[in-house]
Amino acid sequence: MTALTIKDLRYKHNQHLILHDVQLELAPGKIIGLLGENGAGKTTLMRLITGSAKGKGTIEVNGATTAVTRKQQVSFTDHLNGFNSGIKLQQIVKFYQSVYPDFNSDRYQELSTFLNLDGQQKLAALSKGTREKLIIALTLSRQVALYLLDEPFSGIDSMSRKKIINSIIKWTPDNATLLISDHYVTEIAPILDEIVVVKDQTVSVHKGADEIRDQQGMELEDYYESLYAGGDTHD
Amino acid sequence: MKFDDKVPIYYQIKQHVYHEMMTGALQPGAKLPAVRQLALDLTVNVNTVQRALSELIAEGTLVSQRGKGNFVTSDQELIARLKETLIMTQLAVAYDQLHGLNMSDDEIITSMQRYIKQREVQTDDSIND
Repeated sequence: MTALTIKDLRYKHNQHLILHDVQLELAPGKIIGLLGENGAGKTTLMRLITGSAKGKGTIEVNGATTAVTRKQQVSFTDHLNGFNSGIKLQQIVKFYQSVYPDFNSDRYQELSTFLNLDGQQKLAALSKGTREKLIIALTLSRQVALYLLDEPFSGIDSMSRKKIINSIIKWTPDNATLLISDHYVTEIAPILDEIVVVKDQTVSVHKGADEIRDQQGMELEDYYESLYAGGDTHD
Repeated sequence: MKFDDKVPIYYQIKQHVYHEMMTGALQPGAKLPAVRQLALDLTVNVNTVQRALSELIAEGTLVSQRGKGNFVTSDQELIARLKETLIMTQLAVAYDQLHGLNMSDDEIITSMQRYIKQREVQTDDSIND
């Protein structure tokens, strides 16, 4: 069974076509980079996968097709926007434990120790880097088939980045697939099995990372940039 | 370890293992860390490490023991052959580049000898400093 299968996905928002004709199959046990410019639809694609946005077409996660059953197979922490700022980390963890039966508290303890998270701290007091670490710890503490991480590296320092990358290597379960979005591929290139590029309102490229290095003799970053060469200027 | 992102990473991991064997950092019969630990040490994907190890096992450089882990081969003949291959690979790079400068084989040999002599002189100088 695939970790994720998307067929003929189409999504409109306020009469605006955001994604169309999206076809994607992800195998289990892979780490996949979801690349694309800001506003290309990476976050939208993630929200469609979890079912928090609704489009046309079919999305199947580890065999689950409805939004309700998919939610049990996907771990995604949508920027912790739902919590009020005065809440303490340990209260968020309690909330996760009560909402998700697959939340593994031992894993959370290991992750939070590794990432130096303090349960007594308030959400509003966290730096950007610590907030991302909390998102990683919460997301990877669930036991599911598919993990989604939305730009965990944007605006954080290199030490935090290293910690987050090591957490991903250490705590992504063997048969689970992790989809991680970023618009700067170099920082995650060594940990990727494959890349998926969202461009022109669809999934335009899906390739193996070592396949690109092997066949094109190119860095992932250069390959990614070459997809935009010669077309419209995007700056 | 820093990787060259133009070269497949499983290939670079294999080269890394060969290098560690040649320098003696990995001794014959030594046990390698578990796959996930290696992935952490090198900051690379677990599947990529697995691919490199599978190829090293297939060619006999590593020996996999069920439930115990992966070990560097103790086969001295195989290690000697491996070393020879690595030397030839390095020489091939240098040779091709010199050949590309329109140097004949004789010129390449005499230049190499001159280079080694000069190095010796430089090393002696630095001792006297």
